[in-house]
Amino acid sequence: MSTSDRVLQNNHLRHREGLTTVSHDWTMVKAGSLVEKQTLVTIDADATVEDACEVLLKNGITSAPVYDSVKNMFVGMFDYGDLMTYLLLLLKKMDVPLEDQTMEMRDLIQRTSRSQNVPVKLASDLSGKDPFCTVLEETRLGSVVHDFGTGIHRVAVMDTKGNMKGILSQSSTLDYLMRHLSEYPQLQPVMQKSLQQCGLSNGRVLSVNGDEKVLDALISMSTNSVSSLAVLDEQGVLLGNISMTDIKHIMKNLRTSWLWITCFQLVCKIRLSQGVESGEDQYPVLDVNAKSTFGYTLSKLQATKAHRMWVVNDSGCAVGVVSLTDVFRVLSRLIDNDD
Amino acid sequence: MVLDLDACIESLFQRQLLAESVIKEICEKTKELLMSESNVVHIKAPVTVVGDIHGQFYDLLEIFKIGGYCPDTNYLFLGDYVDRGLYSVETISILTCLKLRYPDRVQLVRGNHESRAVTSTYGFYTECMKKYGTSDVWHYFTDLFDYLTLSVVIDNMIFCVHGGLSPSIHTIDQIKVIDRFKEIPHEGPMADLVWSDPDPGREEFAVSPRGAGYTFGSMVVEKFLHENRMDHILRAHQLCMEGFQVLFDDQLSTVWSAPNYCYRCGNLASILEIGVEGERHFNVFEAAPENERPTPAEAQRTLFSNGVPMGLFNNGGASNGAGVGGGSGPNGAMTFAGGASGSNGGIDPAQDTIHYFL
Repeated sequence: MSTSDRVLQNNHLRHREGLTTVSHDWTMVKAGSLVEKQTLVTIDADATVEDACEVLLKNGITSAPVYDSVKNMFVGMFDYGDLMTYLLLLLKKMDVPLEDQTMEMRDLIQRTSRSQNVPVKLASDLSGKDPFCTVLEETRLGSVVHDFGTGIHRVAVMDTKGNMKGILSQSSTLDYLMRHLSEYPQLQPVMQKSLQQCGLSNGRVLSVNGDEKVLDALISMSTNSVSSLAVLDEQGVLLGNISMTDIKHIMKNLRTSWLWITCFQLVCKIRLSQGVESGEDQYPVLDVNAKSTFGYTLSKLQATKAHRMWVVNDSGCAVGVVSLTDVFRVLSRLIDNDD
Repeated sequence: MVLDLDACIESLFQRQLLAESVIKEICEKTKELLMSESNVVHIKAPVTVVGDIHGQFYDLLEIFKIGGYCPDTNYLFLGDYVDRGLYSVETISILTCLKLRYPDRVQLVRGNHESRAVTSTYGFYTECMKKYGTSDVWHYFTDLFDYLTLSVVIDNMIFCVHGGLSPSIHTIDQIKVIDRFKEIPHEGPMADLVWSDPDPGREEFAVSPRGAGYTFGSMVVEKFLHENRMDHILRAHQLCMEGFQVLFDDQLSTVWSAPNYCYRCGNLASILEIGVEGERHFNVFEAAPENERPTPAEAQRTLFSNGVPMGLFNNGGASNGAGVGGGSGPNGAMTFAGGASGSNGGIDPAQDTIHYFL
């Protein structure tokens, strides 16, 4: 057993001591119990795209449900992917002159949305990647995990009266499972398997060269329907990662000029500002290798709050990726095999 | 080449860059010296311990003013000499010269920033390119970093390392057998020593949010100290607003020596003075006074318009302009050391830094 696995196991044993060992089936946990204490942040359907962005930024979240007070119902989710698609559509339509490339992003949105008059209810779910999915409080985790395994990043948990109780995301579900791992011994075997054994150690790596422009990378993500790209150098060595949520850094700085810098420059800027904010610098790349265990990969995803780990070989070249969707696909396969 | 170290040191104190060929020579000689150092260097008090500096050269000068100059004061530096600050080159140059000049009075431990992967992202590579026109100087220093020791023990009582502990390492002897002469790996004991952090809320190890190393708790600290018959762990690696932090019932301290980090955090810094009897005193200080430090814009003018002074430094001087030279390493990398706009005495490092590095 490797060192990292011993670390994992020690933590579980520690939790176990003193507890009555009642074996729970993790697939039977109710979705409602995972969102019990959540404060819900929503966006009004008639708000401008610009205001919707403000909501995401202010609350430090990557998505929020959109509520139509006329229809008296939720009509979709708005996230950074939608914002990006919206912007790209506009930028593609418009020929952005050089002087406009330095104006504030807000102004750009304002200008375009005013002239286009696009309320957020039209912009939500624009990316098409993340349709608005709902489950009930009573829905079991086993079924939610199935959804997550098909690429749905989050679901809205509703009560029987149609009120939204909270949002359950892939990240928060992973966090819950890792914290309560000792209560679910059925998960132990898969945690010990290597990524290779789980079939996750290699796969198609969608990437962008460090010298390419951020805007081109975002267009590529949109076209390929993925939420991130590996940033590589000429030899294919992994330098970093660019994802849809990075657009929040672009928004924070309110400079569209950041769309025209290179991907490597953006990676550096983000790392630099994150390190100062937290007082701790992160490792430049978040990666694992084929021999890393599934459990270690999950621990690292949970600890770093990343949405994916790149799989690298001995030379540091990216040869695969383990995303949260991949994680939940493996977990839902477990359920299928048990049935 | 006959090396006049005292002249080099004198010039560096004036913030004048050394010629590329001089740096090459100094790095070669220092590597020879470091090669014979163990992964665990044993020294005796009195000694003054310095934490992260991150290219804040003027604050390093402040440290010498407060703590005393070499060789009158013995120094132990715990790593992270480069990246983020505006003067990483000057900082590492002067520390390398001091080590070469006074090898028994100066100890340099390797930090997580003394690495090719990290310096490519956090500023040192870019600064070398800007100040010398090619990546050669970056190569000389990053090759040198491979030779830096991993830890120091003071009076057999205080274990000093840049980051922290490793689940693979229970005894000092286990550190001694590591092959350290290479780039810091992504994982394993060598990575853990430079990346780990203490977590006062835990007892054991857990995967670190940094993406390398681990966080470790009270039981890990107690066990390590007991097993190795020592009474204190001293490390750096984490920003401390008060300049230092003491944890686990005085079994572990963090010392941080970069005041007003990145010219915007507004934090204090400290150096730890360890007396002959082993008594520990944190000497806390603020950022060096503004009027003794040129603005980034002025700094650029000094370097590029005057060029490098004649005499000692006239071979292989710096080339002007936006040279994106050959050699490996990321092309066109740009870093913005200041981040968002600050408000320190009228200087807006973010804005100036953008122009500084263009």
